Amino acid sequence: MIESLISAIDVLSILAIPALVFFIVAYGAIKKVKIYEVFVEGAKEGFHVAVRIIPYLVAILVAIGVFRAGGAMELLSRLIAPVTNFIGMPPETLPMALIRPLSGSGALGVMSETINTYGADSLIGRMVSVMMGSGETTFYVLAVYFGSVSISKTRHAVAAGIVADIVAILMSVWLTNLIFG
Amino acid sequence: MLNYIWLALLVIGIGVALYGDVSDISANKYHNGEEISCIIQFSQHVSSPPTQLQKMQCAVAIATQLPAGSGTLPDTIIQKAELFPGGTLHIFIDEQTPAILREVFEAQKNEFLLVHAKWESFNGREIPAVITFDPVRFVRINAVTNDGIIKYAKTAVELAIGLIGLMALWLGIMKIAEQAGLVAMLAAVLRPVTTRLFPDVPADHPAMGAMIMNISANMLGLNNAATPLGLKAMEELNRLNKKAGTATDAMVTFLVINTSNLQIIPASVIAIRAAAGSSNPAEIIGTVIVASALTMVIAIITVKLMAKLPGYRKQLLPTEES
Repeated sequence: MIESLISAIDVLSILAIPALVFFIVAYGAIKKVKIYEVFVEGAKEGFHVAVRIIPYLVAILVAIGVFRAGGAMELLSRLIAPVTNFIGMPPETLPMALIRPLSGSGALGVMSETINTYGADSLIGRMVSVMMGSGETTFYVLAVYFGSVSISKTRHAVAAGIVADIVAILMSVWLTNLIFG
Repeated sequence: MLNYIWLALLVIGIGVALYGDVSDISANKYHNGEEISCIIQFSQHVSSPPTQLQKMQCAVAIATQLPAGSGTLPDTIIQKAELFPGGTLHIFIDEQTPAILREVFEAQKNEFLLVHAKWESFNGREIPAVITFDPVRFVRINAVTNDGIIKYAKTAVELAIGLIGLMALWLGIMKIAEQAGLVAMLAAVLRPVTTRLFPDVPADHPAMGAMIMNISANMLGLNNAATPLGLKAMEELNRLNKKAGTATDAMVTFLVINTSNLQIIPASVIAIRAAAGSSNPAEIIGTVIVASALTMVIAIITVKLMAKLPGYRKQLLPTEES
């Protein structure tokens, strides 16, 4: 049962992209869309969008890089440790909670490291897995999405994004303790 | 707001690094300038130190304890080393190397521990000498420069360049889906939800289609399809923007839905768990779905309430730029 669920997810993630491409192109052809010309016309924009986001990406990634490399991240985890202990969050999962909104590849690295140290089936291992799955790289998304349309006055986006990140961590902690604790 | 976050990340990042380095220097964590006596051992009798372009294989026996407060060493440790002209000594680190030497070695970032040796007379198989570590300073500030600033500036461009191909692919596919009427179909099905989430966006506007495609791709964990579709959606939303450079309510709502993303198939998480030898890698799916669904609901409520705050409303009014 569990085995077949995993293999179903496996198959789905292998098939998803080719199936989507196949379905849309085939449907377009049936509907008599000039698929090749239309595809190229749409694809032309790709380059400009990618180049347009470079300055915003550099700004946000360098700031995050400086924050992590200089040891500010460890200091922050030490400062907020009392709070996290209070809500039932093991201190070992704190680096994950902090890195998740900042860096996708960083979070992936922290997750693998934590799981390899404490075991995938430990409470800590499960909790970082749930954090990884339910969080998102908020600052990357903010920088790239707003950058692509040159928006610098982001209004409540950052505040709401941070609220979403905190809620995602609290939910992960609470539900993991509830279900696996 | 992004201004303040950016400032905080940079100032705190550099400030913490600088503070850490200065306190390392004042505590002399890396034992700069401290003299340690040792014996340089050779396999045969030597009578003169190495000259130009020459190096000598040797071993270093450190028979003393390092200065007080820096921990203790075993009575004698013997490490393989190479002696270069001018007394430069490369000590090779192995498993038996005590932590105190290892720490300096790691901070130096060489393949070996770099020390400088001085001796009274160079004659015999065992030559008594005094060594000092090659000074280590500003470890963290160097990390900020190399691992922070230089590396990430490069990473940012690599990320963007790496996105070009996928961007082109998905924008092309999206265009076909649009022309074939697929996007409109999907938008019509989801109309009751989307018109409530984005009241300012006309239900048949192309922005709706792009947003729906992006959110679906996100749910399925198709990250490389989600970003191009999301950027397309932002472009369409910007066409409805009356004040260039300022985010609209719809943009912020869309962004927050994106960052609180409801995950149905967290494929990468399952893959890592499987690789780490979990007995049931997929057991976290249910928890992830519930956690991310609750997060998304709370995030949407938050963003809708925040949008009503007078401070944020005011920014939407047309004003002359100062």
